[in-house]
Amino acid sequence: MDLVAGRSFANERRPIRHLDPVLLIATACLTIVGLLSIYSSTHRGLEVLHEDPMIYVKKQVAGLILGILLLLIIATVDYRFFKVYAGFIYAATVLALILVRLPGIGSTANGAQRWFQFAGFQITPSEFAKIALILMLAAMLSELRTTEPMLPDVLRVCIVSAVPMILVFIQPDIGTTIVLVAIVVGILVVAGTRLRHLLALAAASVVLVALAFQLHVIRDYQIARLTSFLDPQNSEDVTKYNRDQAELAIGAGGLFGSGYLNGVQTNLDFVPEQHTDFIFTVVGEEFGFVGAAFVLMLFAILIWRAIRISYLSKDPFGTYVAAGVASMFAIQMFVNVGMVLGIMPITGIPLPFVSYGGSAMLANFIAAGLLLNVHMRRFK
Amino acid sequence: MEKSTSRLKVLAILVALMFAALTTRLWFLQVLASASATTDVGRQSARFVETDATRGRIFDDRHRPLVLNRISLEVRVTKDQLDDDAEGELLRLSDIIGIPVREIREGLDSTDYYDYQAKPVAYDVDKDVSFYLSEHKDEFPGVEVVPAAVREYPNGNMAAHVLGWVGQITADNIADTKRFKDYGPNDLVGQAGLERQYERFLQGRKGRQKYLINSNQEIVRQLGEVPAVPGDDLVLSLDIDAQRIAEQALADGIEHTRGIYDESQDPPGYLKANSGAVIVMDPTTGGIKALASWPTFDPSWWVQDLSKKHAAMVYGDNSGAPLLNRATQLSFAPGSTFKPFIALAAEQHGLASFSDYYPCPPEYIYPGDTTTVFHNWTTANLGTISVEQALKISCDTVFYQFGADFYDRYNADRLGKDATLLQDSLRQFGFGAATKLDLPLETSGLIPDPTWKAQFAKDHPEVLLPDEQSWLPGDDIQMAIGQGFVTITPMQLAVAYSAIANGGKICRPHVVDHIEDPDGTTRPVTGHCNKRTLPYTQAELEYIRNALATVTQSGGTASTAFAGFPLSEVPVAGKTGTAQRPPFQDTSWFAAMVPAYDPQYVIIAMVEQGGHGSTSAAPIVRQVIEGLYGIDSSGVVDGGATD
Repeated sequence: MDLVAGRSFANERRPIRHLDPVLLIATACLTIVGLLSIYSSTHRGLEVLHEDPMIYVKKQVAGLILGILLLLIIATVDYRFFKVYAGFIYAATVLALILVRLPGIGSTANGAQRWFQFAGFQITPSEFAKIALILMLAAMLSELRTTEPMLPDVLRVCIVSAVPMILVFIQPDIGTTIVLVAIVVGILVVAGTRLRHLLALAAASVVLVALAFQLHVIRDYQIARLTSFLDPQNSEDVTKYNRDQAELAIGAGGLFGSGYLNGVQTNLDFVPEQHTDFIFTVVGEEFGFVGAAFVLMLFAILIWRAIRISYLSKDPFGTYVAAGVASMFAIQMFVNVGMVLGIMPITGIPLPFVSYGGSAMLANFIAAGLLLNVHMRRFK
Repeated sequence: MEKSTSRLKVLAILVALMFAALTTRLWFLQVLASASATTDVGRQSARFVETDATRGRIFDDRHRPLVLNRISLEVRVTKDQLDDDAEGELLRLSDIIGIPVREIREGLDSTDYYDYQAKPVAYDVDKDVSFYLSEHKDEFPGVEVVPAAVREYPNGNMAAHVLGWVGQITADNIADTKRFKDYGPNDLVGQAGLERQYERFLQGRKGRQKYLINSNQEIVRQLGEVPAVPGDDLVLSLDIDAQRIAEQALADGIEHTRGIYDESQDPPGYLKANSGAVIVMDPTTGGIKALASWPTFDPSWWVQDLSKKHAAMVYGDNSGAPLLNRATQLSFAPGSTFKPFIALAAEQHGLASFSDYYPCPPEYIYPGDTTTVFHNWTTANLGTISVEQALKISCDTVFYQFGADFYDRYNADRLGKDATLLQDSLRQFGFGAATKLDLPLETSGLIPDPTWKAQFAKDHPEVLLPDEQSWLPGDDIQMAIGQGFVTITPMQLAVAYSAIANGGKICRPHVVDHIEDPDGTTRPVTGHCNKRTLPYTQAELEYIRNALATVTQSGGTASTAFAGFPLSEVPVAGKTGTAQRPPFQDTSWFAAMVPAYDPQYVIIAMVEQGGHGSTSAAPIVRQVIEGLYGIDSSGVVDGGATD
């Protein structure tokens, strides 16, 4: 119990009284948009197969309930607890990323080895690697003796980041690798890394990526997907098709959209993977520019609150965690929507809180839980 | 913290740039370039091509085929899509397929189908015709040649009433949007028999191929395919050999009966024997081994849409209604085949004892009502006899007394639970309610009771005289010999005799033994014999079986019909029945259990207007038993005219 000017602030300072309602409302709105869009894009196909048209929605709701539970648990435990165990969480995640590569343990689809099949659920460790990396880097950088990271610190950060990045990259999962890069850059910037260090890092990355292309670590289909937005006329058939149909769906929406469940592109199932990576096309076609801009605004609010929480945090660890989460949400939103709009390459990154998918949903709720946690305990 | 604030600003600016880029692009796509996207969306569309599922097949108990599928090249015409000069187009088509244009026209004008339905006009056409038409598509809009899977019947018209038939979905079916929700206008639908009853299993699920097409209707790419799932196969309890025997015996028996001049009919004359049915049932399982109904038809008549000639044969005024399944869809008075059930009910309720003796005079008069005289079938006084003898010689007057005793119980307690003792006992055997056999449109027959009669009198005041409208002694007395208002189906009789045969269990009869999925898993159908057990002791049921075994022996009502039959090898328990049905001739019944002391089969024969039970029905059953047990057949025997 703190006494300031003879008054007790005990009640005011109970963390539960300091939730961030704006953040919660933005998150809730995004998940509702997600459920509506998932139903719109899947119900017709399921009806043709005589399946329950709500099956994807129901599965997403199940993930949602689990996500909310995780959010509550994460928000309850003081975030400094995670700082203590950051190394352990990081090591466990790296182990999971290694295990998922092993035949017989991890599952394969579309030539990528990404998840564990467990009791009917798919668990994708790369989704949780994002959270683990945020905690690990925040813990490392908050314990510096100097006010800003020196070159050895930056190198240590690079090595710690490179391990999960490489493991995710060779799955191969370029999308998540990009998100991990953005998290590292975001946290490094907020931690005060010098510009010349950042530039050197960028140069090194370019060399490494070029090398990866040369050594054919990146598969042909990934190159095709990555480059099709640069040269739309000559790209590979399937990729061009995905891109064209997504753009047509967005364009057909116009200012106000065709109305819920009335999208031609959506109903005829022309847009592939529409309930996962291309879910923004449902919003774009059925709710038009107004709806799409509203969803972007929800993301803007979400990221603004994350940056604000980073600013309000009472300690550097909280600042870096919130900055990492802000970077993570921002890059995922930008790459996903950019891909749908044809200004970013096609790299399977789901839209946070909106796309269908359990593991991503859980990781995003954990991230939101961390934000709330820092916000609730912002008073010294 | 000062520094981190400015660094957070860098992050915020980067994020703001992201939103600026996305919003600008969104504005461009959705507002500035929206018109062209909308046009492009309109130019492309999806086309769905349905692929038919193969209909499930039907096999007998040893997996011998009863119904298969084969491919027929059909020429189909969609009236809606014909050339502007439709008459000219049809004339050219008529030349190619060799069918008069008038016939094509008539087929297309049929009100059974909607104009948008593709109507088959020629079946099993030559490959040459098919090639010509597909090469000259432009000249024949609305005409297509389709390789259609049609039903094939390897055994001809065998078991027609059981199998039923399939036909193109009718306008009536389409109007039934609930049952036929997922059906297309050219789909085949089971219209009768098992094809109808098990439609949802046999149908399978259609496949669907999806194509993206451009504004020139050219296929741009295939978007996906849902493969067709073939229908489930039905494996029956029916045995092709038993079925052939039953059908042959019924046809022979009816032909023979029509040559018999029966003095006892009113007016005397040749027996008409206009219809009949035979059932062979396994009393231990409820499985139907054979079911024959006469007159009959050929299910292959519907394979190439029903022709005029065939339509007249099945629907015409003089056709004799061959589509009706006489074993389940019509009910008749059971006559003396009812007596074993009456005897059991009387014994159970203390009105009779299997160890007592009862008088069998030529006439019975209910005390106090001398105006109504109930006659035995013979004018001789047969003395005092046991229940066994009463069954053997089918003494009516013994049973009149039992019926009268039931009436007295009713009269003593009109509203109590004893009021309908007889009816309750008969209903326990399954009479008066559908057997829930797996064939469609079964009728339930009637076990009349005071409530029913009161309602009937109200609904049909012209039929009953005012003093006949209440429940009278005669109603119970008549019912005791299977006469009066009571009616049953042959299938109900098979279930009831099976209960006597199997120790008192009521079976749910079934034609299908199990259903086989395309992937090989099997599901049994819900027919079994362990649901309900009757309140009779094994000794009582054995007494009845033994009594009925004497019916075919010397002195029994079926002794003439079974003369020369090797009863010592295959003992037969049976009961004759002769039900009067003025103004028509008598309905002839015979119900049998073989072997009498450990029944494997219950066999029921019924011949409408077939005279006495021993005249037409008993010889039919004899012929069936001879076939089932490989006994040298003596052909159709003369059964005489006893009961």
